Amino acid sequence: MGKATVATAQLSSCVGCHVSLLDLHERLLDLLEDAIDLQYCYVVLDQKEIPEEIDVALIEGSIRNEEDLEVAEELREAAEVVVAVGTCACFGGVHGLANLYDREELLKWVYEESHSTDDEGEVPSEVVPKLFEYVRPLGEVIDVDYMVPGCPPKPDAIAEIVTALLEDREPELPRTNLCEECPREKEDKPIEEIKFRTGQGRPDPDKCLLEQGYPCLGPATRAGCEAACPSRGLPCRGCNGPTEEAVDQGAAFLDALASVSFEADVDVEELLEGLVDLPGRLYMFSLASSILKGHRDVIGGK
Amino acid sequence: MSEIKIHPLTRVEGHGEVIIEVEGGEVKDVKFAVLAVRGFEKFVQGRPAEEVPYIVSRICGICQTAHHLAACKAVDGCFDVEPPEGGHKIRWLMHLGNMIHSHALHFYFLAAPDYVIGPDADPLRRNVVQIAKENPELGKIAIELRRFGQDIVEATGGKAIHPVAGIPGGVSAPVDEEDRDELFNRAEEMVERAYEGAQAGIEAIRETLEEYREKHDLDLLETLGNIETYHMGLVADGNRHEFYDGEVRVVDPEGNEFTRFQPDEYLDVIAERSIEYSYVKHPYLKEVGYPDGIYRVGPGARLNVCEEMKTDRAQELYEEYVDEFGECVNYSLTINWARVIELVAACEEAKMLLEDDVITEEDECKEDYEPQEGDGVGIVEAPRGTLIHHYKTDEEGRVTEANLIVATTHNVPAIEMALRDAAKKLEDELVKLAE
Repeated sequence: MGKATVATAQLSSCVGCHVSLLDLHERLLDLLEDAIDLQYCYVVLDQKEIPEEIDVALIEGSIRNEEDLEVAEELREAAEVVVAVGTCACFGGVHGLANLYDREELLKWVYEESHSTDDEGEVPSEVVPKLFEYVRPLGEVIDVDYMVPGCPPKPDAIAEIVTALLEDREPELPRTNLCEECPREKEDKPIEEIKFRTGQGRPDPDKCLLEQGYPCLGPATRAGCEAACPSRGLPCRGCNGPTEEAVDQGAAFLDALASVSFEADVDVEELLEGLVDLPGRLYMFSLASSILKGHRDVIGGK
Repeated sequence: MSEIKIHPLTRVEGHGEVIIEVEGGEVKDVKFAVLAVRGFEKFVQGRPAEEVPYIVSRICGICQTAHHLAACKAVDGCFDVEPPEGGHKIRWLMHLGNMIHSHALHFYFLAAPDYVIGPDADPLRRNVVQIAKENPELGKIAIELRRFGQDIVEATGGKAIHPVAGIPGGVSAPVDEEDRDELFNRAEEMVERAYEGAQAGIEAIRETLEEYREKHDLDLLETLGNIETYHMGLVADGNRHEFYDGEVRVVDPEGNEFTRFQPDEYLDVIAERSIEYSYVKHPYLKEVGYPDGIYRVGPGARLNVCEEMKTDRAQELYEEYVDEFGECVNYSLTINWARVIELVAACEEAKMLLEDDVITEEDECKEDYEPQEGDGVGIVEAPRGTLIHHYKTDEEGRVTEANLIVATTHNVPAIEMALRDAAKKLEDELVKLAE
């Protein structure tokens, strides 16, 4: 079999998924030597045109502006298989939080009001691609064949999807929730209070952080990072997005809280108070793909 | 009027476009447009400030650690808490790890193809994959250095890309002793590799300049981005080169001190102008005004604002650089030369910190914090230059206002100025191309 032709692109995002690909180090060189023919990847190659036909498109980033949409559509047209790489492409990513704010308000803050901005300029409107009202995940504008969430996905996960496609088999990617890979122990006791903020206090090193009163989103978050935050004494903030079964990460978290605390005499209002910033806490990385989507008017955090 | 458009810009992070406008046989204007904005300064508002270092690392997947740490410092300021020695040194080491990865990526993966493969080579071959094929030894140095940097960030920050450990008052966990020992054992060799790589890199830059002089009778240093601007960067202990913590020094194009300021005084010195055709604002020195007060940051600027390096091998390379170009360098093509010197400096400094046991001590990594109303500014030198994070919080410790001036943002007006300058010098060729 010949090499598979591959194109990569970065829409609205940080390029971290591409850096994760580079973190395969020598293995990336081996892949390039033996298995893939990288034809378009603006981060490291000088090719400026997206090829007309390719086997696989690896797309990082979400749809924030008109250029994002154009590139996504062009790649869908060209590619046999489209893979959404990373949480931005899969679920909108952290800048999906911008959906809590009116687009004009956001631009006004950045280009007119913020502290160091002088009074002479105006909101950019020429040359630059227009922002859409809302951030959207890739799957909302084009058909996506595979999703590899993670912020960023581990280099191994990116290698796995590419290798699986080459070998014409289903990729083996994390599907369970974060608790399954977390080294901490759960006692399955009711959560009575969220009493700590991230990084406060001295948590017991072996016990579940949620059960110790930290706002840990592990039960509602997909595995894949080897529980990087809980392993260092920090609650999960949900950067891998929801699990495959869950439609909505925030709802899944509330569901998890309710299911362990149902029979206990827990004051739900007080419990939620401990989360301090409800929309930010429940949807830090997946607001754009939540069932709330862009309905700013119904989100309390505005 | 006709236009030459360069889009997308390649071998960079971020979305940009260069537009060269030609009319009546002349280059009329050159615009450098940045095409993306996500609005972090807006959507961190309302978030608990302790989550902000974790959120803003996502501004840049290459220099995430610099954002993470500038935000940590700013939130320390809001909550009025200082990390203990261990926490301070773990953050600093994390920063150096990122510097090593980013400088290795920037030089070997992004810039070196122009020098090693050559600017006139087939664009399809002008990339790091080709370097690894044609010069496997250099390819190996590039990979080893990047891996070392990423491994340091993972050991100190919990994740190589988007580290998590930084919290108000320090870091959430110390460095595991085994990880520390393993990294320390590699450190000396990495200093050597960085030094070898720097020499090879400097040689490749020299050869490219030489080749152009001979083949095209063109002095690239003079033609591509020799512009007069101010320069800005951190210094510490007088005017010593600094990556992580100190005061900001600004020098004029001749190298004379223009001003120096503490992080929380940045608004007295810097203002930004919104530009109708770009999502990145143009910063300038308030006192001088726009556009005369344009300045540069990054490796070249850092070597211009300092008078000495912190470590031996880097000092040796710094002295050669000063002998060659003088104390204040206004060329642009020397920036990668400065970058490989800094890569040696970062490896030497990391080795120094890895020797210190305090980074492995459990009760040295953080001070307790309480969320409160406050105002804080954090400045670090990101790989590509001075990085400023500024937050205000309410009594619940939620962010009410945020202002960021990101490393490359400082450089955007100077990049545009350099492009205009080069376009004027190459006007005849560009006019032909446009027709």
